[in-house]
Amino acid sequence: MNGLLKGLGVTLKAMASPKVTTSYPDAPYVMPDRFRGIQHFIPELCIVCNQCARICPTDCITLTGKPNPDPEKKVKVIDTFDINFEICILCDLCTEVCPTEAIVMTNHFELSAYSRDELFKDAKWLSDNNTLVRQDNNNIGAPAKGGAK
Amino acid sequence: MGSFLNEQLTWGGVLVVFLWAVVFLVIVLGFVTYAIYFERKVIGWMQFRKGPNRVGPLGLLQTVADIFKLLIKEDTIPRKADRLLFILAPALAYIPAFSVLVVIPYTQNLYFADLNVGLLYYVALSGISALAIILGGWASNNKYALLGGMRSAAQMISYEVPLVISIVGVILLSGSLNLRVIVEAQAGGWFWNWNVLPQIIGFAVFVIAAVSELNRTPFDLPEAESELVAGYHVEYSGFRFAFFMLSEYVYVYAIAALTTVLYLGGWHPPAPFLDFVPGILWFILKFVCIVFFLFWIRATFPRIRIDQLMGLGWKVLLPIALLNVFLTAIYIELFIKG
Repeated sequence: MNGLLKGLGVTLKAMASPKVTTSYPDAPYVMPDRFRGIQHFIPELCIVCNQCARICPTDCITLTGKPNPDPEKKVKVIDTFDINFEICILCDLCTEVCPTEAIVMTNHFELSAYSRDELFKDAKWLSDNNTLVRQDNNNIGAPAKGGAK
Repeated sequence: MGSFLNEQLTWGGVLVVFLWAVVFLVIVLGFVTYAIYFERKVIGWMQFRKGPNRVGPLGLLQTVADIFKLLIKEDTIPRKADRLLFILAPALAYIPAFSVLVVIPYTQNLYFADLNVGLLYYVALSGISALAIILGGWASNNKYALLGGMRSAAQMISYEVPLVISIVGVILLSGSLNLRVIVEAQAGGWFWNWNVLPQIIGFAVFVIAAVSELNRTPFDLPEAESELVAGYHVEYSGFRFAFFMLSEYVYVYAIAALTTVLYLGGWHPPAPFLDFVPGILWFILKFVCIVFFLFWIRATFPRIRIDQLMGLGWKVLLPIALLNVFLTAIYIELFIKG
């Protein structure tokens, strides 16, 4: 009996408390800072080391390089870079492994499309996806220095 | 209003009564529309949500849109259903729900029919609704609908007994079955003249039995959304389904109005110095509080099990209601008559 009254009190209090729903499709939903969203690609930084394609658990990254147009330099430059978002699981491993941070995560997450072809994103699309880029890309789960051993 | 019913029947009189019935029907439909809206809003707020807010300003047209969708839906009748009974059941559910409202007095002068057996009329007609539910479940020719209908009938019949017996205390105190006389017997200016405090046991039994009679949470076993497919109206669609829903909400109106009349002093203000507020506003205020209470308990309590339901009805509420009758009779014998 006491419990029933207590329950009524809880719901009455909830009625006046602030609401947790947001008007998401109308107003964009702000994700927390370390969110793993759709990648942003920076072609200038890429050294075509192929590590992202190798570490990718779903093999969704394909990339090709070409010889450097500057004959003085030996490092290759990127030619094509595609991510297939049908199978990408946004696991962040490509960012973690990238030695130059040429591929980083953003806070964007809206991937629904009417055609599966639209989910195949190329280097141009990924480098244009340059808003809300995540800042701390090498800070996965660990404090920088002097943290717990 | 009541004088029309006592005059000789003429075509003009019939027309006036009919027009009043139409006006009242529109008022009741408006109540149902916004009761559903208000219910969804209140439950939303209590679940940290905002409730419907997309259709129209503040979502005010949400229920209108829902009803419109029901009306334009295809009206399906299963091939193996008992066609006549299938069509009859929603109407049979709605007619008693609407006709019981005729005896509710809103103020001293605003009422439709002044029956001297008003309470008996209410109880007798509302009993027909259980029949409509069994009829709908049976005519659907669907085992789930039939089971839902049987459950519902068992529940409604079990709880009608304590409901009626809890009212007997009020009848003993006011000495009449006429709802206007019952309200007049609660006059006296202060809220402790109302039946709710002298009849507190009867009031508690009445409220619990009424919630169960309305098939609302925590007693909504006949149409438990999370357990059953839908209960007795599983085969109904379109406006026949709308009629079942409509009669359910009209019963909410009826029970809230009846509670106001029987226990909360009808149109009487709670204190003599509040007399300047018109009686109809007091009636509406009490009415709205009861409707809100129904929504509130729906948002709070979980559903009880079927065995607990029958146990509560027959083993707890019925003895308490009988005890209340005896206590009231003893009180009247010792203090009022003597």
